Amino acid sequence: MKVKWWSAALAAAMVTGLFGGTAAVQAEEQVTLKVFSNLPDRKNGQGLVEQMIIDEYMAENPNVTIEVEALDEEAYKTKFKAYAMEGMPDVVNIWGQPSFLDEVLEAGVLAELNEADYADYKFIEGSLEGFKKDGKLYGLPRNTDVAVFYYNQKMFEDNGWSVPSTYDEMLELGKTITEAGITPVAMDGGDGWPMAVYLSDVLYKIAGADYQGTVADAVANSDFTADTMKQATQLLRDAADAGLFQIGYDSQDYGTAMNLFTNGQAAMFYMGSWEASMALNEDIPEEIRTNIRVFTMPVVEGGAASATDIAAWNGGGYAISANSEVKEEAIKFLNYMYQPDKLSKYGWENGVGMSAQDQTEYMTGEETELMKQIVNIVTEATSVSGTPINDCGPSAFKTCIESEIQSVSNGTIDIDTFLADIGAACK
Amino acid sequence: MEKTGKKKMSAGKVILWGILIFVAVVQIFPLVWLLDFSLASSNEMFTNGLLIIPEKIQWGNYVKAFVDGNFLHYLKNSLLINGLAVVLVLLVSIMAAFACLRMQWKLNGFVKTLLLMGMMIPIHATLLPNYKIYSTLHMTDTIWALLIPYVAFSLPQGLFLMTSFMSAVPAELEEAAVMDGCGIYRIIFQIITPILKPSIATVSIMTFLNNWNEFMMASTYLSSPKWKTLPFSVLEFTGQYSSNYAVQFAVMALTAAPAVIIYVILNKHITKGVAMGAVKG
Amino acid sequence: MKKMYSNKLVITSLVLPGVLLFVFAILAPICLSVYYSLTDYSGMGSWNMIGLDNYKALMRDEAFFTALRNSLFLAIGFICIQHPLAIIVAAVLDKLSGRGESFFRCVYFIPNVISVAVIAYLWKFIYNPNFGLLNNILKVFGYKGTVNWLSAENAIWSVLVVLIWHGFGWGMLIYYSGIKNIDPTLYEAAAIDGANQKQTFLRITLPLMKPVIQVNVTMAVISALKQMETVYLLTNGGPGNATQFTATYLYQQAFKAFRYGYGNAISVVFIIICLLATVFLNKIFEEREPERRGR
Repeated sequence: MKVKWWSAALAAAMVTGLFGGTAAVQAEEQVTLKVFSNLPDRKNGQGLVEQMIIDEYMAENPNVTIEVEALDEEAYKTKFKAYAMEGMPDVVNIWGQPSFLDEVLEAGVLAELNEADYADYKFIEGSLEGFKKDGKLYGLPRNTDVAVFYYNQKMFEDNGWSVPSTYDEMLELGKTITEAGITPVAMDGGDGWPMAVYLSDVLYKIAGADYQGTVADAVANSDFTADTMKQATQLLRDAADAGLFQIGYDSQDYGTAMNLFTNGQAAMFYMGSWEASMALNEDIPEEIRTNIRVFTMPVVEGGAASATDIAAWNGGGYAISANSEVKEEAIKFLNYMYQPDKLSKYGWENGVGMSAQDQTEYMTGEETELMKQIVNIVTEATSVSGTPINDCGPSAFKTCIESEIQSVSNGTIDIDTFLADIGAACK
Repeated sequence: MEKTGKKKMSAGKVILWGILIFVAVVQIFPLVWLLDFSLASSNEMFTNGLLIIPEKIQWGNYVKAFVDGNFLHYLKNSLLINGLAVVLVLLVSIMAAFACLRMQWKLNGFVKTLLLMGMMIPIHATLLPNYKIYSTLHMTDTIWALLIPYVAFSLPQGLFLMTSFMSAVPAELEEAAVMDGCGIYRIIFQIITPILKPSIATVSIMTFLNNWNEFMMASTYLSSPKWKTLPFSVLEFTGQYSSNYAVQFAVMALTAAPAVIIYVILNKHITKGVAMGAVKG
Repeated sequence: MKKMYSNKLVITSLVLPGVLLFVFAILAPICLSVYYSLTDYSGMGSWNMIGLDNYKALMRDEAFFTALRNSLFLAIGFICIQHPLAIIVAAVLDKLSGRGESFFRCVYFIPNVISVAVIAYLWKFIYNPNFGLLNNILKVFGYKGTVNWLSAENAIWSVLVVLIWHGFGWGMLIYYSGIKNIDPTLYEAAAIDGANQKQTFLRITLPLMKPVIQVNVTMAVISALKQMETVYLLTNGGPGNATQFTATYLYQQAFKAFRYGYGNAISVVFIIICLLATVFLNKIFEEREPERRGR
């Protein structure tokens, strides 16, 4: 036994010596990895997490330099397209949704990944599906996104408001809040996609399990005139008409909407669960950030879905460029990021919401109230919607719906025109 | 009679001054507002007053803007690229103007019209194909991707002004130079160019102002921060500091500052240059 | 001497840089645009030739016509609001005869030297309904409501205001130098004839400024057509397509909707429209010129 132990140690020492030697030779070979990211804020939230892992990787691999180019989402997608013409950076952010991935995969700019490699990475079941084409895997999901209303609990308590349990109650609550001189919901309507998520959220509450089928049929047939679609659009319009969103919501961007909420000017903020890191952001006044709570879209009367059927999906993720000159290193870095104790754990610790991997073992019980609430919402969910409507069709459709949804919500065009227009964009 | 006339004049003067001051306030107040809020802290912005007196002057906003906005780097790029563009536009337009105006060849009229056509082409219509060209030639993300279109699109105006100024230069000067044995190049650069000094100033200012503001091409053709120009300190910064308005104001004020300072110092020359170009153009 | 001046080699060396630039940066892209406008290229991967389908689709595209209408609106706004204001202020400034003149000229021109990126973001804040400068000014004057400056109805006006504000100094300066170039003896003659200030302005200043005005009007129309940067950053064409312009629309279609071929079709039509507009305006003014001389 003892002999065995010694010989094993000796063998190990020899092996390390051998490999150590080659590693030292390799170390002289400088590698530059270009990372193209949609997270421009490198000091908070998800961007901070990404940067932390990049810094660690560079510290562990002195021969690797990682250059990050970060743009916010709109600019990112534009630039991504442009890169597709001339050659991609090595590691890129992608979205596992038809509106983004179909054209990208058709152009063959992303490298295929070996799915078997990720058996131990604890990806949540089904989360890889959006990143596949013809059974081949082209990317890995980063988050599980849930559409939520963030609300200011203290403000609610001080004014005696309570979390609405039906859509009508929410509109009523909106009026009460407006009368108190406060904006009910801060909405990033300038970008279009959050309103499209809102529309999907409402549609899911109405159509329930039929949601994916309804949307897929509508896109395939270029026909969005289903009654449930009409009803959902009407409910969005009702909300805007009732003054649920801030004045000028249809021209204000992400930051403006969020700032209304984080500066106590708005009682609620409709956004994805990735903004849960607000609770830890020190730029936000303490009495506000410690009082942020969430609820999901209240049920619609007569709708098929219950309160625990939530709008959630696996959207953003990472992929590797097909013609990267340092593909091996890029994949090595990708796998490093996805080791469960990296993206998933750091993301958890920094309160950026749910990753697409199983995070239960990182729960310490000391998370922010906000985080715990979101985890509860996800674990108690009876079903999830999947991809929001704007991401279910080609990008011409996405561009069209995200622009037209502004017009239909503010009453510039009527609902039938809206549905006809987005249908036409699918052709 | 004369007295009442004078009185009337002075009442009129008051109205004139009133108009001028009102317009001046409209033009300048937004910038005062910008400066004011850039020194406050973010949560002081939700106020009902026009201007605020910050509780504590937040110079830190400017430090953040200066450091995290990569201010110096972008300023250096802007100055370098714009400076080079000006020099190239001057050089190319003087040479082309001389050739089209003084040299004797058949196609001079045609070439001049051709080059001036560029004035009518909307610059943004070339964004898409140019991107394709530059990426095929691996020129994206290099200084050329900006310099070439900047020079190309400022050239028509430069050429136009140069020809109109040059046609006023008497031909006798050149004849004398030819007698002395000067070649064409020496005539252009040693005889003509010094005479064109005022028009050189005009073309320089016009070119500089045109390209200083440009960012659409820069944001399309460039990817790394290496050659990005000053407007990007604002564009990138607003993403990074989306939750901190005051710092965003600081970076805007800082970005606006170099041009405004240069302008105020060179005020006389710039207005004169623009006015000259305007009268000719 | 003549030989020297017709030396082909020298001529070529002088003209070549300019011609090369023109070909490489302007002509070649336009040809490429025409080519891609006949394809269904998405911007990535392969493409098919589809003939004039993109152009046909464009003729039915409401957003494109909205963009053209918006350009027209801007042009009219410049001509009817910015330019009259600029002429009046220039005339008033001229009356000051020296005092404070250079100060005002300097102040009016300052917005012009500030980068569009700063201007657009600054005005985004100024228009903000919740804490923006404009609504706060209204509050100071006792107005109770909140105006949504960038709503679907107001947004195009708001864009116009920003552009007028930004370009005012330039226009003013051009008119000012035009006025300065008017022979002062004409004013003296008018004063002797007993003309008052209004009459002098209408009968002498304005008619003599005609060439300057013509140039400025042409420039206004062209710059309204070419508008992109400010709108792109201020509203990005929204809400809906309320502030869409040709340039922002072609950018959106090519880079966001993955319709590179279609975007190029827009580029080609865009160029044709700009050329037509310039030729058309020059025609109008050329016809007027001899008419005036005839009188």
